[in-house]
Amino acid sequence: MPMYGDLGNKLVQHAKRTQNLAHLPSYQTELVRAVAREVRDLDKDVASLLEPFQGSFDPSAEQATACTLLVNHLSMRRNKRCLLAYHRTRTDKLEELVWSGSDVLDLAGQQTGGGNGGPVADSGGSSSLSPQEEDYFRQYGDLLAAYKGQWTDIDLTGSLEPPRDLFIDVRVLKDAGEIQTEYGAINLTKNSQFYVRQGDVERLIAQGYLQKLG
Amino acid sequence: MDIDDILREVDPTFHTIPQEKRDLQELTRAWTAERSAPELLPWPTSGLFERINDSIKHQIEKVEEMTGDMDPKTNFALIVIQTELERYRYLVRSYLRARIAKIDRHTLHYLSTDDLRARLSEMELAYATRHQALLHNHYLSSFLSSFPAGLQNLNDAAGGISMIETPDLDAAVFIRLLKDTFVTARGVDEDDAANMRESDIIILRWSDAKPLVEAGSAELV
Repeated sequence: MPMYGDLGNKLVQHAKRTQNLAHLPSYQTELVRAVAREVRDLDKDVASLLEPFQGSFDPSAEQATACTLLVNHLSMRRNKRCLLAYHRTRTDKLEELVWSGSDVLDLAGQQTGGGNGGPVADSGGSSSLSPQEEDYFRQYGDLLAAYKGQWTDIDLTGSLEPPRDLFIDVRVLKDAGEIQTEYGAINLTKNSQFYVRQGDVERLIAQGYLQKLG
Repeated sequence: MDIDDILREVDPTFHTIPQEKRDLQELTRAWTAERSAPELLPWPTSGLFERINDSIKHQIEKVEEMTGDMDPKTNFALIVIQTELERYRYLVRSYLRARIAKIDRHTLHYLSTDDLRARLSEMELAYATRHQALLHNHYLSSFLSSFPAGLQNLNDAAGGISMIETPDLDAAVFIRLLKDTFVTARGVDEDDAANMRESDIIILRWSDAKPLVEAGSAELV
């Protein structure tokens, strides 16, 4: 018979693993549900244990019951922590993705396209995100956009590397079409090479269209 | 030259550092300090960022104005201005992101008391409040709503451990002394106290360094 907290432990292991992965593994819907169920069951147990005492429970008189209650309480809190940790790890990952400019559709594509030898999504769905996480992703995106909007001249999601050169050499990895710069339009076709202003192409480098040379 | 010019030349404040340069210094300092300190530092209330924003806007306009000109001399000036602009942008961006990272990490902590909230700028406060609401909502819809009512809080302090994590104020920082100061610091095994000289660089706990930094006798490096 599984022990209290076994499932929570599994969740934490999932979270730990997620921290070191480049992509987001699929959401453990079943596990999350099972852990939450365990909490409810424990709560019911506590209630039924306390029922005969009618609110006049004396721990020192009923040490065995007191111990059971304590263990139940601790298990519930522990499960809650595990759930929080699991979700927070994932939202942190999601926020990272928002900052780097990905969108939800990209994520879904990642899951179906690049298997990377990882475990097959057991949810069977196309997305590794739970519906709630997709909502969160969108809402956080809006929030960040709103905050960024206050600093339009700064480009808050720009590179955190200190700038060295105004102009850099880049090679085009994927066709990116035409971009407008102060020095006129440049047509970015695959395998061509340009000397451009870093600020103009930062986004394209982050998105993998261009590669910085040297 | 009239009398005003002569007067201005003997006025000591006339030859001091111009406002723009002081702003840059202040920005660089705020940036260094924010990146070194383990907790969020107060948002500068002196209007520093309004001024910096204005000058960035101003420079952008200048760049746009000069772009049409193909004269090699303007071109060179343009490159200098653009490089400067990029550096300014980087400083501000890095500063803001360092703050956001700290706010995200300990959102509930920074929202918990008025004193702590006062450290955030208005925009940051709005961001933090909304972000926390989003997170709470996400927890609720994912699992928390199916919990017994007594377990739905995110700020329990049961068992003597608060659920709200706080920054580690005892983390080590490097500071440079700006004047001769008597420094006391707590160590792991024993505490130490010594007279230190200006421009000495020492490593100590942030909780010990904070009063020195706030009093202006030291700066974070």
